[in-house]
Amino acid sequence: MQILMQLIVSGISVGMIYGVIAFGYQLTFATSKTLNFGQGEALMLGALVGLTTVNFLIGNALGNFWAYILMLPVVLAFGALQGSVVEWLGVRPAMRAKSEAGWIMATIALGIIFKNLAENIWGRDALRFPSPLPEASLSIGGIRIQPMEIVVVLGAIVLMVVVELFNRYSIYGKAVVATSNDRDAAGLMGINTNRIITFSYALSSMSAAFAGVLVAPITLTGASMGAVLGLKAFAVAIIGGLSSGLGVVIGGLILGITETLTGYYISTGYKDVPGLLLLLIVLSLKPSGLFGKAAIKKV
Amino acid sequence: MKMKFAWLLAASMMTAPVWAADPIKIGVAGPFTGGSASMGVSMRDGVKLAVSEINAAGGVMGRPIELVERDDEAKNELGVQIAQELINKENVVATVGYINTGVALASQRFYQEAEIPVFNNVATGSIVTKQFAGADFKANYIFRNAANDTIQSAMIAEEAVKRQGFKKPAILADASNYGQLGKTDLTNALQKMNITPVATEKFNVGDTDMTAQLLRAKEAGADVILTYAIGPELAQIANGMAKLGWKVPMIGSWTLSMASFIDTAGPNGDGAMMPQTFIQQPTTPKRKAFIEAYQKAYNVDRMPSPVSAAQGYDSIYLLAAAITQAKSTEGRAIREALENLNTKMEGVVTTYDHPFSAADHEAISDNIPVFGLVKGGRVGPAHPEDIEGDKALRIKPKA
Repeated sequence: MQILMQLIVSGISVGMIYGVIAFGYQLTFATSKTLNFGQGEALMLGALVGLTTVNFLIGNALGNFWAYILMLPVVLAFGALQGSVVEWLGVRPAMRAKSEAGWIMATIALGIIFKNLAENIWGRDALRFPSPLPEASLSIGGIRIQPMEIVVVLGAIVLMVVVELFNRYSIYGKAVVATSNDRDAAGLMGINTNRIITFSYALSSMSAAFAGVLVAPITLTGASMGAVLGLKAFAVAIIGGLSSGLGVVIGGLILGITETLTGYYISTGYKDVPGLLLLLIVLSLKPSGLFGKAAIKKV
Repeated sequence: MKMKFAWLLAASMMTAPVWAADPIKIGVAGPFTGGSASMGVSMRDGVKLAVSEINAAGGVMGRPIELVERDDEAKNELGVQIAQELINKENVVATVGYINTGVALASQRFYQEAEIPVFNNVATGSIVTKQFAGADFKANYIFRNAANDTIQSAMIAEEAVKRQGFKKPAILADASNYGQLGKTDLTNALQKMNITPVATEKFNVGDTDMTAQLLRAKEAGADVILTYAIGPELAQIANGMAKLGWKVPMIGSWTLSMASFIDTAGPNGDGAMMPQTFIQQPTTPKRKAFIEAYQKAYNVDRMPSPVSAAQGYDSIYLLAAAITQAKSTEGRAIREALENLNTKMEGVVTTYDHPFSAADHEAISDNIPVFGLVKGGRVGPAHPEDIEGDKALRIKPKA
């Protein structure tokens, strides 16, 4: 029983990360029906910018904890900027040209460019990210957990709740929701939908960058860290459904927990298989995802 | 125009070597960026150090050595391109290097066809020197001065079972060729001692959560963890054990000496043990001179990968000795000279006395490496008595 709980706890902390990244996919899909395939790279850039900032602050005689806290606004701002750039360079031209797939190629290409850029700036080694909290693990009822893992889960929840509250109660958020529901109608009501789409990309990359600095202290930071995470999160977005914020969180938890449970109870060699099976099953039975609203495309 | 010409002339006079003869070109291929860069860069720096010493002492046959360095980024396809460039465009007389077994296997066939020797100074895959050995080939152009995986896995099993008395090893290996071939070698080595590992676990390169693998090993009652993987994931294993509050010794292949393992695992990595052909300690005068020269040349205290640096350094001296003996830079003559090297050469790793023969292209035998131990961010000897006194210099037994 204790082992089962330990596996579930580890699965939750991994799954929450998948969930936050997938949440980013969901944000842009809601407003523009497009995704940033470079989401993994947005996470990686966020983590590396965070690392440089933290090291700079620690170099200026700040403790690990305060350096981490002060770094957060820098990384969030950077993420927002990076997302806007992606939208401006990759998505807007494709949407203006009414291209069905242009944005797919463009965001993938931008992802590759960002990765190469990061390799040139930070090198290709995996770097250690100073942990803001003690690294010794806590024992809660026999289950061992690192303080940072708790922060990952809490941080992910806080981020998603803040975005949700913003959408529900602020006037700007309402414009986002209106654009998601019907872009043309929102445009007719005087909402600048282009600006809303840019904003959703900024928000999306911001959440990815935030996810990056959340995971960095328990994993390693490097130019290649985004590739696997971005792909896993994509699977999560499909399982949970691209139109549901809650769906991607639950999708993330399902994938994270299945991975650790399969690793232990079946074989570590087959850890990734059930996640992919689940993906295929969901795609064939409920293509809009477990929690997605089935969309009817009117022609 | 005239001015420009004068400048060119002046520039060419400034760079014009004091050498009358053509330089001897030697290729250096390895990953100088990326995950295995610490090994590649140390190897290259060791090679450069040896070349600068040789050139300062008058070169080889009165000709200077010129290195042609290429970064293969640990990518097989890039290794192949580099091999073709070095052979056809740069006309190298030999190439030293290769950190990654996969890159070596993909690239060295071009040298074999062109009859140009390749000196593997870091890659450890058992098959590397055997790719073109045997009756099907007239001659084998692949040499090595690194401890191969057959030697390393046998040493790991011996250390864990015989010397330290562990009965229930768990093997943790990554899903790459390196990890899976090493896992097979390890299982076989344990089999010979009638030991079956209680758990054999796998993970992907880039995995960050090792909970499932470690819990399986723990529940199977493992008393030691044997590893075949590279730095970052090895660090995740050490950190994962600390997280689970479970501590058993880690013994594994020489990659446990990688800076990325030592730095990322921090205190959790202390106590890890791995076979080493060279430990950064001045146990012989030659080693002392080498360490001091390296530290001075590259302005570092801790070598990023001492084993790679020492083997890189020795590989150039062996090659230079062979060229001198062959009195030729022709590939076939160099290979024949390497196979019957008459000069006894004192290197950093060992003293090479007829290190190769036509059938044996491995300069490092199983008695040469000793166990290193990670402590306080450095690799020291695990059993200081192994390298004391006359045991400091371990020499390959004569065939």
